[in-house]
Amino acid sequence: MRFVSAILIAAAEEPHRDDNGQIVTHHWLLPEQAEIIYGTISSLLIFALLYKFGAPPIKKGLAGRTERIRAELDASAAALAAAEAEAAEIRQAKGDIEEERLRLLAAAEAEAEALLTDGRARLEVELAELEARAAADLEAAAGRSGDELRSEMIRTAGASLESVVADTLDDATQQDLIESFIARVGAST
Amino acid sequence: MSDEGRIDGYARALFEVARAEGTLDEVEDELFRFARTYESSDTLRDALTDEMVPAAMRQKVVEDLLGGGNATPTTVQLVSMVVGSGRGRDLPAIIDSLVQRASSSKNLEVAEVRSAVPLTDDQRDRLKAALTNATGKQVNLKVIVDPSVLGGIVATVGDTVIDGSVRTRVDQLKSRL
Repeated sequence: MRFVSAILIAAAEEPHRDDNGQIVTHHWLLPEQAEIIYGTISSLLIFALLYKFGAPPIKKGLAGRTERIRAELDASAAALAAAEAEAAEIRQAKGDIEEERLRLLAAAEAEAEALLTDGRARLEVELAELEARAAADLEAAAGRSGDELRSEMIRTAGASLESVVADTLDDATQQDLIESFIARVGAST
Repeated sequence: MSDEGRIDGYARALFEVARAEGTLDEVEDELFRFARTYESSDTLRDALTDEMVPAAMRQKVVEDLLGGGNATPTTVQLVSMVVGSGRGRDLPAIIDSLVQRASSSKNLEVAEVRSAVPLTDDQRDRLKAALTNATGKQVNLKVIVDPSVLGGIVATVGDTVIDGSVRTRVDQLKSRL
């Protein structure tokens, strides 16, 4: 209070001129009294105006910023929740993939086993058929050999027969055969 | 012209030449025997039908075979003409057609007789009479000596075949075997 009073007193002093005619204030720091009064009034006026017209936009801006920050926080929370959900889905998918892999492996093994079983069965059938065919071929070959042998025997017998007959046919027999033919044809009508 | 027409044309020409010469019976018989020889001999058939052999050479083969009194000059000339014209392959068919034509001109039926041994003239006459009696047709007897018959005779008159050959009996026996 004493400081303010001292200021006001000092401010009440009038400026004066020095020896060189230059205006000199009463204090190198403190303004004149009137300047303090007008300055104070204008400052208060400015503050009032600022409060009246500047505070609402500032409040509004702060509120908007607060809202924006809250929205960002909400978005972050939502993103976090989504990421966690996605992570859960991925984990589940990973589990599903593993399950699918196991299922596919099991199916492949089952199919391979079925193929093997089927192949073995088919092989056995083919083997049996081959054996049967081989047996039939052997039997046919044996029959053929028998037939060929019989044919050869007949051919040889035929050739021998022809040779024996040709040797038997001397001139007299030939003439007898011719005479016999002529007589037989002559007798027929 | 078809082969049949060409063969018939040659046969008619040969027939007219032989008849004009007055040696039809003899020529016909010689040609018939030559045709059977031709059929049974692969070598002769090859020599007379080989296009690589010049025609003059083929004709010389014919003249060597039938010449020298083996056949009448007319027969030699006729065969030589057919072979020289490159129709050697058709020779049997031409001759058969000629024989058929000659027989028809005399109202005779060709009787082809195959025997393992040659027939005597007496046997020919009696066989001819027997075949005439059996078929009711006058026959023009053509005897072919064919050893494959083995024994006996096979006579063919038109579509009728009278088989008294040993060959047929042997074949039947083989079949039964």
